[in-house]
Formats: sequence, structure tokens, C-alpha cells
Amino acid sequence: MSVLEVVNVSREVSWLPWAVQYFFLIGISVACFVMSLPGYVFGRNAGSGSFARLALIGALACGLVAPVALLADLHQPGRFWRFYAHPNLSSWMAWGSFFIPAYVGGLLAYAWSVLRPDFAAVGRAPGAMAALYRVIACGDRPSPRLVRVLAAWTAVFAVLMLLYTGMEVMVVRARPLWNTPFLPLQFAATAFVGAGGLVLLLQTVLRIPDARAEHTAGRWMLVALLATVVLGTAWFLTGAFGLDRSHSQALASVSHHEAWKFTALWLGAATLLPIALLWFRPIGLGWLVGLLGLHVAWMLRWTVFIGGQTIPKTGAGLYAYHLPLGHDGLLGIAGTLGLWLFVAIVLTTLIPAPPAPSSHAPSALRPAA
Amino acid sequence: MADTRRDFLEKLGILSVGAAAAPATARAAPSPAASPKKHRYAMVVDIAKCIGCQACTVSCIFENAVPPDSFRTIVSTYEVQEGERAAMVMLPRLCNHCAEAPCIPVCPVGATYQRPDGVVVVDADQCVGCAYCVQACPYDARFINHATQKADKCTFCAHRLEAGLLPACVESCVGGARIFGDLEDPGSTVARLVANGDAKVLKPELGTKPHVFYLGLDERLTGKVEGEPTLWRPQSDHAQETRA
Repeated sequence: MSVLEVVNVSREVSWLPWAVQYFFLIGISVACFVMSLPGYVFGRNAGSGSFARLALIGALACGLVAPVALLADLHQPGRFWRFYAHPNLSSWMAWGSFFIPAYVGGLLAYAWSVLRPDFAAVGRAPGAMAALYRVIACGDRPSPRLVRVLAAWTAVFAVLMLLYTGMEVMVVRARPLWNTPFLPLQFAATAFVGAGGLVLLLQTVLRIPDARAEHTAGRWMLVALLATVVLGTAWFLTGAFGLDRSHSQALASVSHHEAWKFTALWLGAATLLPIALLWFRPIGLGWLVGLLGLHVAWMLRWTVFIGGQTIPKTGAGLYAYHLPLGHDGLLGIAGTLGLWLFVAIVLTTLIPAPPAPSSHAPSALRPAA
Repeated sequence: MADTRRDFLEKLGILSVGAAAAPATARAAPSPAASPKKHRYAMVVDIAKCIGCQACTVSCIFENAVPPDSFRTIVSTYEVQEGERAAMVMLPRLCNHCAEAPCIPVCPVGATYQRPDGVVVVDADQCVGCAYCVQACPYDARFINHATQKADKCTFCAHRLEAGLLPACVESCVGGARIFGDLEDPGSTVARLVANGDAKVLKPELGTKPHVFYLGLDERLTGKVEGEPTLWRPQSDHAQETRA
């Protein structure tokens, strides 16, 4: 039997690029926060102090901007209060509305607690801002216990953020492409890929020549990239061998479309190329590896959200999607990036410079000495 | 069909005398005509009687002020070829008012709910426009209304039901393909047709228990239709393509 669809309706994408931006930024924020923990909480600060600092800046910048993108996706940001006034706790999104402020608030408090000694040091030096830094520092006695408590609080909600962002999409049975237990893990793995990439990029832009930090970022990224490859392969094999009906439906819904084949090849190449770069350690390409890592994290989310919504639930073929130039499209993406840039500039201006590197460990991106 | 309509109006009209006088509101609230008698509204679509005229599509748009390029109901039309034989198949689509509606639990603010009579509605005052329900609906029956920026869908014309009227699509159906009624009334046409066991639902494997039933529907069209894609898309898509 052959079927020609003569009349049907083309449904619009209803989770807009704002959603992509939110999931991208919040994932990277959580991953950056986790990457900062070994340096700030577990005492592995020696030699990688700038790594923890850069990761913290990345976590803050992304964590502060992400909720703005989410609010924009509501079409009327003022509606957000209804999440708290009328929560429906059977919805992962409702839980997320509580996790977000708990995570972002915890992250700010954690950042303040780990940066207190640096604020106090700036406050002791002469300068126009010294008094302000002294107020922010609230004393100059380090309090490791406070750091541990705030880190634990933020870590709990960081895990819940990863859980809710993954589950929120995974539970949508109406979209086989989303309805896979691999998805939360893929979101998490690519968040770490993007976070490692962001640290490498920040290091390049801020001109912090810390080989140990570069090595650490590269290592996080490499592990996350390998996890991404394993998860992607497992998802593909589960669908290809018909081990699960939903996975088979998902694969069948995209496998015969040239655009999706191209997307799969692109995503595969974008994942394998930084692995090769990290493996062979070419000189001075940290910025490129960083951009590729961010690209992988963003593209996976774009493919899942925007691409996933172009697959009809009942009709044939694919819905057409054209990126609008306005606030629901390119302007929204550029606006989020601009806001992130502004926040990053403010943070790197106000937060004291990271401690100087104390060793010359081999770089992940340079030949070992 | 005349029997169905008369039967339905007699039973609903008596119950809704008070409701008809009440002012209509934008908010889809539980029926003020609530009575001790339990209702479970449903629709049966007789595929063989649908001629694909889209009168239901148009009447729904006018009745519910559906904005351009959006649809609460539409008749999907397929040209099906099997061997030497070819035929046109019409498949009216709308919200299935599922008993296990996947759009309800995902709503973060509880704006989507099911009335005691089975009609799934959106409280427009409560909806935040997050579109989670749009994603969760397996039938592509929901959309974001660009005029309100909130979720929109078929309500079985709840405001008409409260006034003792049939849904606009049923009222305007030229071939009498859409039959509406109360499943709790064993004498109703929908109850008899569903009880016969010939009626099918869309995507039964999802366990959503739809309450829009189809007579004469080919199994191969109950899920995602695999075929050559649509030849027609809303105006804005064409316009965007032209600009591109």
C-alpha cells in the first residue's frame, strides 16, 4: 500500500530556540560547577587553581543567563509566578521551577564562599573598590566548613537539575526521539563536553597560560566526549536491532530523511574531531577544541529540540522549519549570547584574577615535555 | 444522524436550560449544568461518510475564533493505492479527549484538566504557555494560539454543550460522519456504535484511551502515517519559503 498525503496540517515548533539556549546554558553551568568542586572543595587546588576559577566563572555566567532564556520561552515572562502559586507536582517542569532558584541561589552562595579569601585580599590592598570588597568578603577568615555545606547544597540541586532537564524531555512518549533513557545521559555528557570547551575558550580569551588547567579541561572533555560516543552508539544500536519499540520508531522516523543523515554525520564528525585533537595534542588549538566542544553541546540540543519537533506525530514527511530572524529565532539566540557575554565580562571584571599556575604539567593540547 | 441529534438535544437541552442563560466566559470551567447524572462525552467518526469537504474545519475556526494557520480540527486526506486500486481516505483529526490524557500530568500549573464529563480543557487564565502539553499530545492536537500565546485545542465546543448544542464540527458535517453523544447513556448512538466493537482509536498502543472513535479506519492509518508528505502547508510556511 502506498499513501500520498494530500491534505494535512503542518504544526509549528512550540519549544523555540529559547529552549535550546536554556538547556544548553543550564547544562554547561551544572557541569562547570561540578568541575570546580575538585579544586575548591576537595583540595586539589595545587596547579589547577585557574581551572577551578574558570569553571566557576563559566558556571556563574551560564547559570545566571539560562533562566532568562527559559522565561522568554513563556512568551510573557510575568507568567512565571504561576509555577509557584499553582504547582502541579506530577510535572517535571513544575519540579524544575523549584530546582532552578535553589541551584542558582546555591551556586551564587557557593561562589561567594570560595571567593571570600580573594575578595578579602583585594579589600586589604589599596584601591577605590577595596571597601566594597571588604563588605562582600564579610571577614577574611576562610571557612572551609561553609564552603562544604554550600557546595553540598548546590551539588544536590545540580544533580536534580541534570535529572529534571533530562526527565522533562524523556517522559514525552509522543515523541519517540525524545522518549529514551539515553537522553538524560546524553544531555549530561554533552554538558560536560561544552563545559570543558568553555573553560578552554575562556582560558584563551582571558590569556591565562596555565598548562595544568588546560590539561584538566581537556581531560574532562575527553572523558565526556567518549561517553557521548558510547551513548550515541548504544542509542543507535538499540533502535537498529529493534531492542525497544520506541527506539526503533525514533530511528525509523529519521533514518530515511537525507537531512537527518547529514545531521547525524555532522554530529558524529563534530564529536570525533575534538577527540582526535585532544588525542594528538596539536599546539595552540585549545580555542578550536573549546569551540568544537561548545558546538557539540549546542548542536545536540538543537537537533533534539528543534529537529525533534519537525517530525510529525501523525503525518508523513517532516514539518518545515525556518529559523526566524526575530526574537523567536536568531535574535533570541544572539540576545542570549550577548547577555552571556555581558555577564561574563562583569564577572571576570569583579572576580579577582585566579592564582598563578604553580607547575608546568604537560598540556592536553601540547606535546608532553 | 437526525435521531442522534434530536436524542442528544433533548437530553442535553433539558439539563442546560439554566446554562443557556448564563453569560459565556473565556474560561472553560466545569459545566454549570452539572447534574447528578454522570456524562462521558465522546465522538464517533464514520470514515466512510466523510467527504473531506473541511466544513468541520471551517466551522470550528469560526465558532472558536481559531487564529490563522492554526487548527483545532482538520480532515487529513490521503490518496491510498493498493495494487491497481486507488482511493481517497479522509481522516478527521481533533483532540481525542483521552481518559488517560498525557497532556494533563505534564502541565506544570494544572491549567489542563479533565472535566467530569470527560472533556479535556485548558484554563486560559492559568495557562503559562510553556507548550509542554503541546509536546506531550501524541495526536498533534494542541498548539500555541498566537493571539493569546497560550495552549489551545478542541474542547468539543464546551460552550455549545453547556447551551445544549452540538459541537460546531458535528453540526456542520455535510455527510453526517461525526456523531457526538454521551457514552454513559446506553441508548445513545455513540454508546451503541462503540459497544459494537468495530470502532478503532488512534495510537491505541500508547494506552491513552482516546474518546474519539473511528468506524472503518484502516489499521495502517491509526498511527503515524508513512507515506509521501503533504502537498499543502499553511500560508506562512509558503510565505517563508518564498522569502527564502
